Amino acid sequence: MEQRIDPWLMLAVVGILGASLTTLHTVSRVVGSNLLLRQLLWGLVGILVLWLMSLVRLDIYERLAPVFYGFGLMTLVVVLFAGAARGGNKAWIAIGPVTIQPSEFARLATILLAAAWLAHRGGRNLRVSDVLIAAAIVAAPVLLIVLEPDLGVGLTYLPVLAAVLVLGGLPRWVWIMLVLLTVLGLHATWQYVLKPYQKDRVLTVFEPERDPFGAGYQVRQSKIAVGSGGTGGQGLGRGSQSQLRFLPAQHTDFAFAVWAEATGFVGGTVLLLAYALLLSRIGMVALTSDSRHGLILAVLIGAWLVFQVLVNLGMVLGWLPTTGVTLPLFSYGGSSLISTCAALGVVQSVWRHRLVNQ
Amino acid sequence: MELREDIGPLRRRTVFLFLLVFAGLGLLHLRLVDLQLVHGAQWRDLAENNRLRRLPLPGPRGWIYDRRGEVLAENVPSWELLLFPDEAENLNATRLFLAQAGVTDAPTFNERIAVRRIGRMAPLVVGENLSWNQVAAIRSHQSDYPELTVVSRFRRHYPSGELTSHIIGHLQPVSREAIEADSRLEPDTMVGATGIEVAEESFISGRAGERWVMVSAVGRQLGVVSEIAPRAGHDVGLTLDIELQKAAAAALGDQSGAVVALDPRSGAVRVLYSAPSFDPSVFGGRLSRSDWLALQEDPLHPLQNRCLQGVYPPGSTIKPFLALGGLEEGLIDPNATVFCNGSVVLYGHRFRCWRRGGHGFVNLERSLAESCDVYFYLLGQRMGIEGMAKWLRRFGFGERTGIDLSFEVPGLIGTPEWSRQVRGTPWYPGEAVSVSIGQGPVLATAIQLARAFAFLANRGESVTPHLVAMPSATPTFETIDPDHLAMISNALTAVVHGPSGTARRFASLPMAGKTGTAQVVRLQEGVDADDLAPELRHHAWFVGWAPLDEPSLVVSVIVEHGGDGGSTAAPVAAQVVEAHLGQPVSPPDAQATPPPIRTPDNPQGAG
Repeated sequence: MEQRIDPWLMLAVVGILGASLTTLHTVSRVVGSNLLLRQLLWGLVGILVLWLMSLVRLDIYERLAPVFYGFGLMTLVVVLFAGAARGGNKAWIAIGPVTIQPSEFARLATILLAAAWLAHRGGRNLRVSDVLIAAAIVAAPVLLIVLEPDLGVGLTYLPVLAAVLVLGGLPRWVWIMLVLLTVLGLHATWQYVLKPYQKDRVLTVFEPERDPFGAGYQVRQSKIAVGSGGTGGQGLGRGSQSQLRFLPAQHTDFAFAVWAEATGFVGGTVLLLAYALLLSRIGMVALTSDSRHGLILAVLIGAWLVFQVLVNLGMVLGWLPTTGVTLPLFSYGGSSLISTCAALGVVQSVWRHRLVNQ
Repeated sequence: MELREDIGPLRRRTVFLFLLVFAGLGLLHLRLVDLQLVHGAQWRDLAENNRLRRLPLPGPRGWIYDRRGEVLAENVPSWELLLFPDEAENLNATRLFLAQAGVTDAPTFNERIAVRRIGRMAPLVVGENLSWNQVAAIRSHQSDYPELTVVSRFRRHYPSGELTSHIIGHLQPVSREAIEADSRLEPDTMVGATGIEVAEESFISGRAGERWVMVSAVGRQLGVVSEIAPRAGHDVGLTLDIELQKAAAAALGDQSGAVVALDPRSGAVRVLYSAPSFDPSVFGGRLSRSDWLALQEDPLHPLQNRCLQGVYPPGSTIKPFLALGGLEEGLIDPNATVFCNGSVVLYGHRFRCWRRGGHGFVNLERSLAESCDVYFYLLGQRMGIEGMAKWLRRFGFGERTGIDLSFEVPGLIGTPEWSRQVRGTPWYPGEAVSVSIGQGPVLATAIQLARAFAFLANRGESVTPHLVAMPSATPTFETIDPDHLAMISNALTAVVHGPSGTARRFASLPMAGKTGTAQVVRLQEGVDADDLAPELRHHAWFVGWAPLDEPSLVVSVIVEHGGDGGSTAAPVAAQVVEAHLGQPVSPPDAQATPPPIRTPDNPQGAG
């Protein structure tokens, strides 16, 4: 029995896209107006993709998951050898006039496989071997992405693993072990993995005035931009931080700061509410689905999106280090936008087919 | 197919997860309250004091050298004053301050503000080449005018000054169209306007960089946010020989005219001097405009490069080429003589030879050595205007030589067709007679004659004059009978070394050439050319080469209103040749026998 797609979720998507295009328009003097047109085009393509993905039945996603996953890993390998470098990261494949970032699409394939695996496994708590399988499914693409190196996108895979473990259920002692391992892992990462500039970014979170023209520059400018928005904002196209280019990466990572500077607390709250609506509808989809698989899919996708929202906004508002995690549906970027829409299409498919087992 | 009971724990955990999500979003919203509502005013203050400036870092242009490595164009340090107009509270006060400090006057300042380009966040250069006193005056008022910044940059300087101003050219501010077409161009970039500076622009120009700096409310620089280093342009080496250029300028003195010298073997230009010249330092600024208006209105037109743009009747200097055409067409028997009694009547009009008394019996060699006009009147009549035009074109007259400088003019070869279409009057047969001695509707430039004589000096190989690199086109060989070329060469040697040659004063030099006199006005009966007012006197030509054996320099000289070629143009050429050969100036020796000439019959040139 076919159902219609969820209109509230669509409302949130269209609202966020509209705010995103408005923001791009206000900074077009700085970043060029062709970005606006491209993002508009990607937005339309994304909504089409969303609708198409919502038509596909869940058992098809389950069956094709290994194929998607294999293909995703393959493109991640290809990009390492044939990728186009942009700002030091070899993360893009150029196909004609468009460049595609495979790591954005491989994440959805990873989610599909992880969800299929978890749904197939049955209801009991996960065993240690299951944890290792889940970790392996997520680790394979992450390792390839870290090689690019694109830490920001690599990070967005981690909430998928975390959600798998929470949903799957673990005995209490395993949770304690995991927390300990995470602490140790973080310590080792700090000691041996992070480059000095990355450490600087972390340290500036705790000491914002440490290096106001170096590592702390972006965050400081971002906080000034958001703060100077005040209650009602400085008006679209008027904010001095964005218009005078104090703010770096203002159409991508720091796009929310431009929005908050222009529209103030009112606009910021509206955008936060839009994300709250989006995420609560994903939660609603998960809870009303009668299929384990559908529920797991919606939760994993929701976990990924909320992670990006929290990490990006945490960075823009000066609470988290700068990591290059974008704000889904809001930051400029075609691959990110389309992969997010595709994932929301899967959520809508869960909604359409929620009663299929009755 | 799963059992419904399996979903229970999953749903519980899902609810838990989404509660976490809303806790996170709630925290972020609290942060938004803190930043925007609680501390919004403070952040706004910071935003207003925050000044980020973008300082363009101009890419240094390459230097220009002559063939000996002498510097012809260089960059020297200079203080420039930058204005960030968006930061100024009161531009009127700034204008007044700058006018008082003597940096810039109000109209110039207003004009600079009017052409400001907003989109690029670029400062305006409002002062150039500042003195120490001006720098000190601005710095002491820095806090009153935070929108002003003194920066150390480079200014173009031409050490050889007037000597090479026509060749090197000068700079000008980049045009608005160019900025709009190329987003990487800085609005205050200086680009080549004329000469080598523009011909080699893409090679010589640097790539600008930029530096973003944070400044305080009083204009003090707090820190560098980011920087892209500028890239210097490439240096350019010219074929020009500055020592020969000096010799040419000294020889011309205060006469107006042009000297072109080139190596006939390659076309490499050694001398390109146009007089009067001008001081290139009046250009090159973004601001100064008054000085060079005077140059534009100067009646002597110092801005014109007479070497490429000065068109003159070539006078007798085209006779060798008509003679060569006549030989090739079989219209001339080199040994046959023509009787010159001082004039000849053709088409019902009396055409005079420059020598009133006539030359008597002249053959080809004497006709060139002594420049007998009657001989060429009769040759011209036989060749006809179309025949002459055809041969003149083969030697490059009436077309640009293709030298790597702009604004070259093609000159003119008048034909009946040209007369109808351009001049709009019928062609008179008598005009062809005038053309045969390089008068009437035939105009040439000094560089065209240099190139044409290089063809003779090379025994039939034509080259393209160039200042920078060898043109890609290979030299072309005209199929001219070498015997005929040798006859012309011998005759031109006799001009200098023959007993009655028109340039026999310079017989001490191993030089060959041709004198020429171009009428400015037609002489009335009974008026002597020397009695004419200076501005009506004839133009004097001399074009020749040296040494006789293996020529390595072709010199083409025009002296405006110089009178006759032998006495004013040939000495200039002689001095350049002397400088080239490194020979001292020696008095003409009446007893000197002309050196042996190489001919096909006498390949070693043995006497």
